[in-house]
Amino acid sequence: MTLFVVMSFGAAAIWLAVVTVVCVAVRSQRRVVAEPAASRIILWGGAVFPTVTLFALLTYAFWLMPTLRPSPTFRDATDLRVEVTGRQYWWQVVYFHRGLKIAAANEIRLPVGRRIEFSLKSDDVIHSFWIPSLGGKMDMIPGRENRLSLMAQRTGVFRGACTEFCGTSHAFMSLTAVTMEPEAFDAWLASQAKASINVAGEGRALFLRHGCGSCHRVAGTQATGAAGPDLSHLGSRQMLAAGIVANTEDNIAGFIANPGAIKPGAAMPAFSMLAPQDIRAIAAWLKGLR
Amino acid sequence: MHVRWKHLAVGLAILPIVALFATWIGFFNVGASSGHFKITEWFLHFAMRSAVRTYALAVDAPERLPDNGIPPAAAHFARGCAICHGAPGEPRSPAALAMLPQPPDLSAVVEQWEDAELFRIVKHGVRFTGMPAWPTQARDDEIWSMVAFLRKLPAMDPATYRLLAYRNRPQPPMHASRFEDALAECTRCHGGDGMGFSPLTPVLAGQKEAYLLESLNAYIEGRRPSGMMQLPVQAVDRRHLPALASHFAVLKRHAVVQPLKDDRVGQGEQIAQHGRPAQKVPACLGCHQNSERNPSYPRLDGQPEAFLAAQLKLFREGSRSGTPFSHLMENAAEHLSDTDIENVSAYFSSLPPED
Repeated sequence: MTLFVVMSFGAAAIWLAVVTVVCVAVRSQRRVVAEPAASRIILWGGAVFPTVTLFALLTYAFWLMPTLRPSPTFRDATDLRVEVTGRQYWWQVVYFHRGLKIAAANEIRLPVGRRIEFSLKSDDVIHSFWIPSLGGKMDMIPGRENRLSLMAQRTGVFRGACTEFCGTSHAFMSLTAVTMEPEAFDAWLASQAKASINVAGEGRALFLRHGCGSCHRVAGTQATGAAGPDLSHLGSRQMLAAGIVANTEDNIAGFIANPGAIKPGAAMPAFSMLAPQDIRAIAAWLKGLR
Repeated sequence: MHVRWKHLAVGLAILPIVALFATWIGFFNVGASSGHFKITEWFLHFAMRSAVRTYALAVDAPERLPDNGIPPAAAHFARGCAICHGAPGEPRSPAALAMLPQPPDLSAVVEQWEDAELFRIVKHGVRFTGMPAWPTQARDDEIWSMVAFLRKLPAMDPATYRLLAYRNRPQPPMHASRFEDALAECTRCHGGDGMGFSPLTPVLAGQKEAYLLESLNAYIEGRRPSGMMQLPVQAVDRRHLPALASHFAVLKRHAVVQPLKDDRVGQGEQIAQHGRPAQKVPACLGCHQNSERNPSYPRLDGQPEAFLAAQLKLFREGSRSGTPFSHLMENAAEHLSDTDIENVSAYFSSLPPED
């Protein structure tokens, strides 16, 4: 923001100077300037002035840059780092905080006023991570880790998206970013580190019985799969299927029965062969995981 | 008389009509009693040999034939092939000898063919001869087992054949209407104890009942392709299937191989327990853990390694079906390499059967 203001003033000053020079030149069109004087004008006005001005603005921009890059004083032990891995077609999110490793998916929560480190990775193809309201975009490239630093300034819910074509459902790969007051965030993160209080629901047995735990993890159960999104607190997320549909019990049931209808090319197979009441029970249980 | 171009053209135009007319009035004799003209017989045989030779060029023969598939192939031969071709100690019946063309005694002719040519004949059959195609076109692995058996056929003595094909019991009836006959049809390959006589034959002892029944139904309805299973299952009276499933489900599963801990088992265990998330490979044990899991998900502990590997490859190429849940395995196997399949199969076969 400050960069934008400073640059705008700088641009305005240059524009005014140029317009003034043009006006003077138009007024005195009949006066012929001697060659040495003309050379001086070209030297000072055409070379020295722009060099000094642009150099000053550039220096200022460089001076601001460290705050946009990963902080040199970042310490894994105390500061929050969020690792986001792009997968076809969802986001794996892991919060590293005070020695804890807290897994989530498809929704990122951030405390207002704290600069957060992001590690951006990919396991399959190139994705790109972009939450326009919070900052610039950064590619997620298989085999390397890109760093990004963001700081939210006010609370709210912002939409992010994958901005590098990554396959059939690239357009259905969104992200919800929720910014919260720091105290609320800390409480939320602490709750995410634990199993959901509703984990003992009746859908749990069905979830395990049909093998959902091969791909999905639900904290506090035997389900420890990692091929698909972590569902430990699915019910508390705003959106379902990586920001595509509202997180309702009906939509969860619909996704279980036929993921391809909501997300073409999704890796999850259709479970339409399950008894409808089993699907409802699993959906109700998942929705209850807050 | 001059034959003009016009006469020739009219003659050529009329010829097919004359031929059609001659066929319609029944001029051509289709009776088999008199046999073919010598030249017809020579031409048909020539055409058949040439076509098999040419089409076999496109067949990729394995370096080594799967000899461990000989027992099930022998059992299949007894039901599907011996009826026309005879078998060691079982000469062709007079009815078969009177067929036109006469089905050959295979022990005398298999040496004239390459492996790929035998594969081609067994898989696709031969038109105009009564030689049928393999019951499914999706199981090349079974056909290679049959080729392996055919290679051993010329030197096979009747006792060996009877052991492989019937396990020294009486020849099974064409249609098993009694439960005992239906069971005997199963135990020819799967053994009275349900442990199976070949590493390519699954262990049925202690398998989940629902899975067994769904698989049998899938074979009957052609949803799970297998020439070797579709034939015997169709010979069994359908009302016996539930009893057959429960019969094998309650048998006790024994350890076939000594549990060994080598590298492959360790790497297979890693995939079985955790999958390989980055490559969308789920953890096998999420579904294939025996207690409390869906009864349609089969037990894998103590299954023969070669059988598991063959099934995983079928899933990977999308030609294995079965229960209403079997499509889940296509996703699971899609990203497994050959080495992964070997490792995972080694792991599950090394698991001591749990009871």
